[in-house]
Amino acid sequence: MIFLEHVSKMYPPDVHGLRDISLHIQPGEFVSIVGQSGAGKTTLAKMLIAEERATRGKVTIGGWDITHIKNRDVPFLRRQIGVVFQDFKLLAQKTVYENVAFALEVAGITGKRIREVVPQVLKIVGLEEKAYRFPRQISGGEQQRVVIARALVHRPKILLADEPTGNLDTINTREIIELLQKINSFGTTIVLVTHNREVVNSLRRRVITLGQGKVVSDHAEGKYLLPT
Amino acid sequence: MTIHINSWRIIVAAWKHFVRNIWLSLTTVFVLFLAILSVNVLVGVNALLMNAVSLLENKVDVSVYFKADTAQGVLDQAKFFVMGLPQVRSAELVSADQALDAFKKRHAGDDTTLSALNEIDGNPLGATLIVKAKRTSDYTFLLEALQNPQFNFAIESKNFESHEDAIQRVRLIGQSVRSFGVGLIAVFAAFSVLIVFNTIRVAIYTQREEIGVMRLVGASNAFVRWPFVIEGLFLAGLALFAATAIVAVSVTWLEPHINPFFDGQAGLVEYFMVHAQQLLLIQGLGLGVLVALSSWAAVGRYLKK
Repeated sequence: MIFLEHVSKMYPPDVHGLRDISLHIQPGEFVSIVGQSGAGKTTLAKMLIAEERATRGKVTIGGWDITHIKNRDVPFLRRQIGVVFQDFKLLAQKTVYENVAFALEVAGITGKRIREVVPQVLKIVGLEEKAYRFPRQISGGEQQRVVIARALVHRPKILLADEPTGNLDTINTREIIELLQKINSFGTTIVLVTHNREVVNSLRRRVITLGQGKVVSDHAEGKYLLPT
Repeated sequence: MTIHINSWRIIVAAWKHFVRNIWLSLTTVFVLFLAILSVNVLVGVNALLMNAVSLLENKVDVSVYFKADTAQGVLDQAKFFVMGLPQVRSAELVSADQALDAFKKRHAGDDTTLSALNEIDGNPLGATLIVKAKRTSDYTFLLEALQNPQFNFAIESKNFESHEDAIQRVRLIGQSVRSFGVGLIAVFAAFSVLIVFNTIRVAIYTQREEIGVMRLVGASNAFVRWPFVIEGLFLAGLALFAATAIVAVSVTWLEPHINPFFDGQAGLVEYFMVHAQQLLLIQGLGLGVLVALSSWAAVGRYLKK
């Protein structure tokens, strides 16, 4: 599903974001990417949605080589990958319903189809009752669920979650992780970028640890390794 | 089908954005409104100044006073000659009797002057030829043409010298008003362009995060950009409508108040009525293009990131 072959990212003049990383993530996997701040987690996540381009190496997603993807093709890539961010990134001027619908509107999906799909997805994340509220009128946990609903609305094969629980309390964190597990059980590949040790350890799934831009460890049923 | 759906969505998105950011929208409309209004005020002031110059030019003439005993044939010949000149707009021959009547009317309450007039035997006044040129610049030529020997001998006096200065002054004022007015409008238009461009930039700057989010969920550059451009056109349309309404009301109210300064005909309403289509077209197109380009460029800045 996701192939990274000898990928490096350098920022001028000589800062290394990633150094010669090679990874293969299978379809349907739930992978946690962990590491300290500056380890390269976010750079890797941004590379998967073409917000950053590799300086060297090759990035392939679902057979599509996106290493040198053209700007005009980026929207099409982003419609294939659901993305969840720590800071939600919701459109403040749109309601919950409109935020989710927007992801379909930009793809030119018909209004009839949008009216069918959006309520279904809002039901999955438990927000059908708050569809016409604005983001400022709901809690942080609910906002994150809106983001997940928006990410799911295209039925993506991959869901990339970059620190999705970073701004949430313990209860909301658990709910979001359970939601991600539920989505994974439907067959969606989940890439979870986090530094939350409890979350990673409770999952008992594959863990890739990054350190100074390199893969430090990659275990099928891993744990969050404490820095040495 | 997709283009049709997207076009409609872009218009709806622009409208919703306008309504949900109503204070930012109204502030932007207000700035655009002031820009159009300032240009219209200058256009109006320029029209008034032009009218004033035109009135002054109409008041300028050359009066030729003939000797009291000048034969009617000579007078007719002078008028015929003057009327034949292409530079002449009108020539009026005031006979000696008419001149006397006018003099008596002018001094109706002045017994001293009237009794002095009675002392003189007969009509002391001669005929007068009042000549108006088409353009003030023609008077210099007219003054020379009136030296014609066919009737020059019968001319008692001419007010050429005193008019020559006035004519020159009016001509200079006219030219200055025209160039100054056009220059001032150009300067104000340039300021307006800068103000409008920066207002749109600031309005879009406040929404830069939203633009980033749109792109992250897969919106194409066009899908992000066009709602802002269309919203800008909404704002421009509203500003133009408001400015037009205020200008129409103000000009209608102002006209009767300033008429006395322009011989009862300021001509402001007439000027705006005659040039309404032209003004609306130029201002609408100018503002529309400016706002659309500003929005396009301002959004583009965040699309490159």
